[in-house]
Formats: sequence, structure tokens, C-alpha cells
Amino acid sequence: MKRYSQYSTNVSDFSDVPFWKKAGTMDLVYVSYGIFIVILVIVSYILGAFNLLPFDPHEINIKLLMAPPKTAGHILGTDFMGRDILSRLIIGIQAYFLPGLLAIAIALVIGTCFGILAGYWGGGFDTAITYINNLLNSFPRLVLILLMVAAFKPDIYYIMVIVGITNVPVVASLIKGKIQFLKQKYFIEAATALGLKNRIIIFKHILWHNCRSVLIIQATLGMAEAILMETSLSYLGFGVQEPIPSWGNMVLSGANYFMQGKFWPSTAPALAILFTIMGFHLLGDGLNNILEMKRSK
Amino acid sequence: MSIAPVLKIENLRTYFYSRSKEAFIRSVDGVNLEIDKGETLGIVGESGSGKSITALSTMGLISAEPGVIIGKIRLTTESVQKDLLQDLNNYVKINTSPGRIMEVYKDNSGWQKYTDRMMRGIRGKEISMIFQNPKVSLNPFITIGKQITESIMLNTPIKNRNEAKDRALYWLEQVKIDSPRLRYNNNPHGLSGGMCQRAMIAMALSSEPSLLVADEPTTGLDATIQSKIVSLLAELKSSVGVTAMLISHDINVIMELSDKVAVMYGGTVLEHGPAKDILTEGSLYKHPYTEALLASIPNEQHIREKGYLQAIKGDVLDTINIPEGCRFHARCNKITDRTREQCEHIEPDLKEVFPGHSVRCWLFVDS
Amino acid sequence: MKLSAIRPILLLICKELAIASLLLLGVSFIVFIILFLSPGDPFSLLLKGQMASDTIGAGTREALGVPTAWYAQYLSWLSNILRGNFGTSIRTGLPVLSEVIRVGINTLYLTIGSMLVTLLLAVPIAILSARRGMTVFNWTSTIFTYIVSALPVFWFGYIVIYISMHQFGLFPLAFGSSSQKIGWLYFMPPVLVLGIGNGTISEVVRYLREEMERVFSEDYIRLARAKGASIWKHSLKEGFLIPITEIIASKIPFILGGAVVVEQVFNWPGMGRMAWQAAQDRDYPLIMGITIVAAIIVRLGSLIKSVVYIIVNPRASQE
Repeated sequence: MKRYSQYSTNVSDFSDVPFWKKAGTMDLVYVSYGIFIVILVIVSYILGAFNLLPFDPHEINIKLLMAPPKTAGHILGTDFMGRDILSRLIIGIQAYFLPGLLAIAIALVIGTCFGILAGYWGGGFDTAITYINNLLNSFPRLVLILLMVAAFKPDIYYIMVIVGITNVPVVASLIKGKIQFLKQKYFIEAATALGLKNRIIIFKHILWHNCRSVLIIQATLGMAEAILMETSLSYLGFGVQEPIPSWGNMVLSGANYFMQGKFWPSTAPALAILFTIMGFHLLGDGLNNILEMKRSK
Repeated sequence: MSIAPVLKIENLRTYFYSRSKEAFIRSVDGVNLEIDKGETLGIVGESGSGKSITALSTMGLISAEPGVIIGKIRLTTESVQKDLLQDLNNYVKINTSPGRIMEVYKDNSGWQKYTDRMMRGIRGKEISMIFQNPKVSLNPFITIGKQITESIMLNTPIKNRNEAKDRALYWLEQVKIDSPRLRYNNNPHGLSGGMCQRAMIAMALSSEPSLLVADEPTTGLDATIQSKIVSLLAELKSSVGVTAMLISHDINVIMELSDKVAVMYGGTVLEHGPAKDILTEGSLYKHPYTEALLASIPNEQHIREKGYLQAIKGDVLDTINIPEGCRFHARCNKITDRTREQCEHIEPDLKEVFPGHSVRCWLFVDS
Repeated sequence: MKLSAIRPILLLICKELAIASLLLLGVSFIVFIILFLSPGDPFSLLLKGQMASDTIGAGTREALGVPTAWYAQYLSWLSNILRGNFGTSIRTGLPVLSEVIRVGINTLYLTIGSMLVTLLLAVPIAILSARRGMTVFNWTSTIFTYIVSALPVFWFGYIVIYISMHQFGLFPLAFGSSSQKIGWLYFMPPVLVLGIGNGTISEVVRYLREEMERVFSEDYIRLARAKGASIWKHSLKEGFLIPITEIIASKIPFILGGAVVVEQVFNWPGMGRMAWQAAQDRDYPLIMGITIVAAIIVRLGSLIKSVVYIIVNPRASQE
């Protein structure tokens, strides 16, 4: 009996406890893995942008076709044209990195605007957002994009604009929900009563203090979706085209050899996709659990 | 030789561990209670005093949060004699570093499985419970008739569906629901709060328990409905003759219904005794808290005397930082110079001041 | 049930129908706008190569009575669609609707089968982890669902093809030409691949688990425990039936999207593969028909969800 009560006087104030102490262990593991992946992607992107690669990703080497990993300095081996897979993986990030950021930017900016309109002024905007959300959810994303491909033959940036737009209602409804929740707490009314300008209330008190975690989470999940879309489309032959490498078309080009038992050329990019998308998912969900205080039990 | 009490709670402690504050919230902190057959024990206290947690601990219904339950709860009825808390703590692990609890780990599923196994044949059959907020406590997806029938078929020898239905209708009549046949097929959503509470009472009584635990049965109802439910309970008490633990923050309800009263504050019992001794003003031995509680009842007499309603000054005890000394001393207006030293530093024991009436206060301890 | 009890339910269902048709109207409008804005609208594409110049084309338009204003074009296009006339495929010259329906059946098999696979995998994990808290099982299963959800479905398809080819001697390319007897053997790999690899399992598990945990902590479940009843029986409707229909309806678009890739991998003669072919050939009428049919399937799923919700939940019809 004693042994329980004697400890209970150690009380620290709720706000003093740093957020990682309140978080579950699993969530911290998720987030650190996610951050590791994000840093890896960014570093690889920069390496690719400055062409600091072990080999020229476009250099064809007829003598060394389909080399297994660790042959002649090719850490991950070579593909069916003798090109270095590691270099192509690194340069493959170029295919989705900037387009993905564009998709995220579109989703976040437009979504936030709509969300504020619907949450702050409500009424017709609210109905409209719900309607548009349901409308865009009626299309399978990939089918909608194939329709766009048929209509416009767009390049990857335009496709990512569409991906971004389809994510707008998701962000909008989240921001809307957040604002409606905040409105119940009366502090918006209080701020208005204090004579604060709407602009300040919206940007400082609503967006910065209360919505930034939602936006960060949506950004990571948006990146995961952008990667998924880009690789799927490149795999289907509509995104980034050979000889420019993308993880999706690398899997495709290795496919025939896969059936012959030479797994590596398509497995390497596939694993890259797997671990990257998983990293962004885990980062988003872990942040959600930690920042939104929905601790997993 | 006296018959063993139906329920004997000894030194019950229910602590919850708050991860963010890294401390135990001591919701129930050493409670001793007894309920004899046929009597109604009223437990009264402000919200946060641990009344409901005591009831839920008895039912084994505390599950979700990490925490500790220690003590003994002995149930003695015709068919069952059992300590309801036996071995429960095998499911809690506490990691400590010197002076500090690092983590409390509770094997929730194991805990729950164990209590479910332990309480099989007790929940419903021996102890039934009435909750507050009847509208959310009844299953919104099943008609109330079916819910009562289910309870009857689970907990009484009646296993035939038609018989059980007749029995359910009988109980619906007993709790004075108008047109029970019609209500039998209603979902809780279609009924008023008072009606739902009657249905819940019918459900609790239909399994003919040895002990009825009523946790704030009138809270969340309209004032007029409240008094109707109280008079219904009083009527059922005399006609059915249940043994009951009645929990309420409303002294009027307790006064009306209970034979014995326990006054709880900050997780402990401050006063325990016959209702007529404790709840009538002017008796000689009375805890200052009980006195303050009685004085805060809004009735005609008080208002006429003072012209205003008297509230107890100060806030309800913070059950994380339980102060030294008597739990009530910070709010107490009866501290004398003689007892001040003790009140502030040593917690008094529950001392019998009168046969059957005990008080936890230094005022009644002769030095 | 008496009529008086059914009427509010019917009213609600009518309301849902109205919402669904409103949404499908929006779908048709979006599809039309995309086609309208595309370089070379469907009409001129059909006439392409047959007309010497644009002016002659425009003249032919007028002579044929094809409206030029966009809203007039939309209305005439919509009325055609409502009459079931989706036009003819540019590549094959066959009527679009019957083509889409012919292959749509295959896609429906694939979709429903893989939905079952997803649920068979996700539901036990969700139930076990909802009841067990953070155990070894729970976190391994969570990691597993995350890995599975990030799995590129095409590569996963290759693995399954490789295994079925080398271990069981099955050639997925032989779909349709194989004898009926072992048809289901060819049926299994794509269904499995799409069911596991559609990228929704972690979300499904998460949603089901959260809903179950929420319902388990409801007051009425506590009452059920207090009276010794089975909490599974009491939580079945709100904790299981409603979330499952909800998640099925909301994941249909993802599974249809995944079907495009899986059908490509397995050479499955379905809507997804046809969409791929149509996008490759820029076959507007065909891809338009597929998009609309897919949207109709999605809306249908969502309609079923609403109906289940209304019927199961007695509160819905009284609110």
C-alpha cells in the first residue's frame, strides 16, 4: 500500500512535460523512422540535383547487363542496359519530389482557404465543400487521371496539380472541423470582442496556433500519395518516360527479367517505394497521434 | 452471532495513473464500508469524492486506464462468498526508479478477462447496477423489452423466451411505466429520460439481485421526474425489499431512501452511521463537512435563517496532491486551537463516537 | 413492421437517392468539362480526317445540328448518356456502354473479391488489437499493416505471378481461355494481390479499431457488462456493422483505382485495363464511359452504406 502512495507526490505541471514524454513509444519510433526517410529523400534529391552520383545514371554499359549487387562498384547492381541502379534510384527522386511538393502546396493552400471559408463563415460554403468532397470522392483517382491523360496528355506536373486538387476537400474539411471545434470554445468570439482583426484571428490564432499540426500531417500524407500516384502512373507508362528514370518505370523495365528469376532490377526500386511511402505514412500517423494527443494505448 | 454483511469493503484503494502528470490520482483512498442484508446504504459527497469509483470497483468495471485497485471487497450472499478483488494486482506492473514512478503498465486485456471470469455469475445475478444518464446507458440499438428479457434469461432460472417476456412486462408494470406492452417494443431513443430510468430500474430488479448498486439514479433528469423516481425507488424498497448501495450527491435523495449513510470526501469516508443520526441537524457528533453539506441544502428553513444559500468554501480536494493531515482541514471552519496541530499534520482515524456511528475528525478525539 | 415505421426510413432513402443523383450529375459535368476543354472535342475527333479543314468541319457541325454553345452541347450529351448512349469507341467502333458493362463484370468480381480479402485480413487484426491493447501482437500487426499498405501493388503482383508460375505452374495470361474447372485458380492471384496490396489495410484496421474502442467505452456497453451480457452482442451493430459498411463504401474508389494497375499486371480483361488502353489510344468516349460507370459504382456503394445505416440505426429515422 505504502509503496504506491509514497511516489504520488511527484507532480509536474502538464505544460512542463515535453511532448515526447507524453507520447507513446511506438509513435516516437514511427516518427523517427519517418524523419529518417524524409532526410534521406531530401539528401538524395540534393545529391541528384548536383549530379553527385556514383555513376552516370544514363550511361549504358553493354558488358555489365543485369549485374547482381556489389559487382564492379555497382552497389545495387545494374539494370538490363547496364545502367547503375543506385544512381538511377537517386535520380529517380527527381521524378516525384518537386511535383509532389506542388501537389502538397496546392492541396494545403486551396484547402486551407476553403476550410476557413466553410468553417468561419459556414452556411453555403460548408454545403459546397461537402458536396465537392463527395463529388471528388466519387472518382477513383487513377481513373480520373487516366481520363485527363486521354484528354490532355499532361506531363507529371499537371498530373500532380490534379492530385493536389483531389486532396483539397480533405484538407478543407479537416480545417473546417478544426475551426468549428474552436468556435465552440468561444475564444474566437472573445478575440473578436477584443477587437482583433479577422485577419489576425485567422492567421495567428487559428492557423498558426491550432492548425499547423493538421497541415504538417496532411503534407506528409500528401507526399505519400504523390509518390504512389507518380510511381503507379510511371509504371503504367503515362508518367515519367524512359530513359528518364522513375521508380515506377524502373519496376516496369525490370518486370520481364523478374519472371526469369532476376529479381533485383525491379525489386530495388519497389523496395525504395515501399520504404519511402511507409516512412511518410508512419510520419503522418505518428505525428497525428502525438500532436493531436490521440495516444495509442 | 451476527450475519455477515452482504458487502464488506475493506481498505479499498483505487488509483489511476496519470502519465502526463506522472502521478497517481487517488480516487478512492482507503474506504471501509459494510452493507447488511435488507438495508440501504447511502453514499453522499461532492463530485470527485470517489463515490462512483467505489461502486465501479465493486462491479469490476474499471478497466481502461492504467491504475491500481487494492483492498478487499467481500460479497456474502446465499450462493456466493467471494473476495471480488482477489489477485487483480497481478495484472499491473509498476516500474519505479528511486522515488519516482517511471511507468505503470497494465495488462488491460488480461485484467478484463480475469475480472470477467471472476465476476461471472455475480454481475447481474448477485449485484445489479443502475447508472446515471439512462438515455445513453441503455443500448440504443435494441428495444428496452429485449434488453430486459435478455437480462432475465441470463440471470434468473427463467430460460423460456415467452416466460421471460411476461416477466419483463411484470417488471415494467412494477416500475410504473404506462402501457408497458407498447413501451416493450420501443427503442430507448423514443422514450423520455424518466421512462428510460424506469426501464433501467426494471432491468436491474428483473434479475432479482442480492445487492443493487444505484449510481446517481436521479442525476440528469428533470426535477419533477427526479422526485418521481425517488418515490418509485422508496416504494420498490419496501415492496421488493432490496439490499442497496445508493450513491448520490443529492442529500435529499439519500435522506429519503437510505438506512445508513457514508459521507465521502477526497476518496475516504469521513462519517459513517445511521441515516437519522447523520442527516438530522443538531446531533452532537457530526463531522464539520457533513454539517456544511447539510447547511448547503437549498431549503426553506436555511434561506429564511440566513437569507442566502451557504456554499462550502474552497474547492474539492485535488486527489493527486493529498495534503498532510485531515483531508478537509483546508476548508474546515471548526478547527479549534486545541486540534489545529493535529488537523494539519496527522490524518484522523475513523472513530466510533456512538455505537454504529463513526467520525473521522480530531474534534471528537479526546486528547 | 408497420407502415408508420417504414415511412421515415423510405423518406430518408429517397433523400439519399436524390443526393446520389445530384452527385452523379456533378460527375457528368466534370467529365464533360474535361472533354470539352481537351484539344479536339469528341465531335471533331470523330470527324477528324474526314474533313478537309476546320471551316468545313464547323459547317458540317451546323448542318448536322450539333450545338456549338457549351451548355447546349452538355445538355445534348447528357440526354444521350441518360438514354444509355455513351457513343462508340474510337478504336473498336463498338458501342461504349455494352463494352464497359461486358468488362465491368470482370472488374466487379475482382473488386468484390479483393474487398473480401482485405476485410478477412483487417477485421481479425482490428478485433484482436482492439481487445488486447498494446501487446506484441498488436504492434507486429500494426507494422505489418503499414508495410502491406505501402507495398507497390505491381511489384507484389510480380511476386505472386512468379510464385504461381514456378510453384503451381499457373500462367495468368491464360485467363479466359482456360477451362472452367480450374478457372478459380486463375482468379485467385489477382484477387489476393489487389486485396492485400490496395494500400488501404492500415487505414481499415485503424478505423475499425478506433470505432470498436470508442463503442467499447460507451456507457451502454458498460451496462451490458454490468448485467453480465456479452459485449460483442451489444456492440455488434454500432461497433462492427456500421463501421464495416462505412469503410467498404469509402474504399471502393481506392480499390477501383488499384484495379487499373492489377488488371494491367495480370492481363485481367476488366475496366481498368480497358481504361489503360483507352488512355493509351486517347479513346475519349471509352474512357469517359468507364469514368462514369466507375463513379456510378462508387455512388452505389455509398448508397448501400447509407441504407444500411438508416435501417440499422433506429435513431437515424427519428432525427
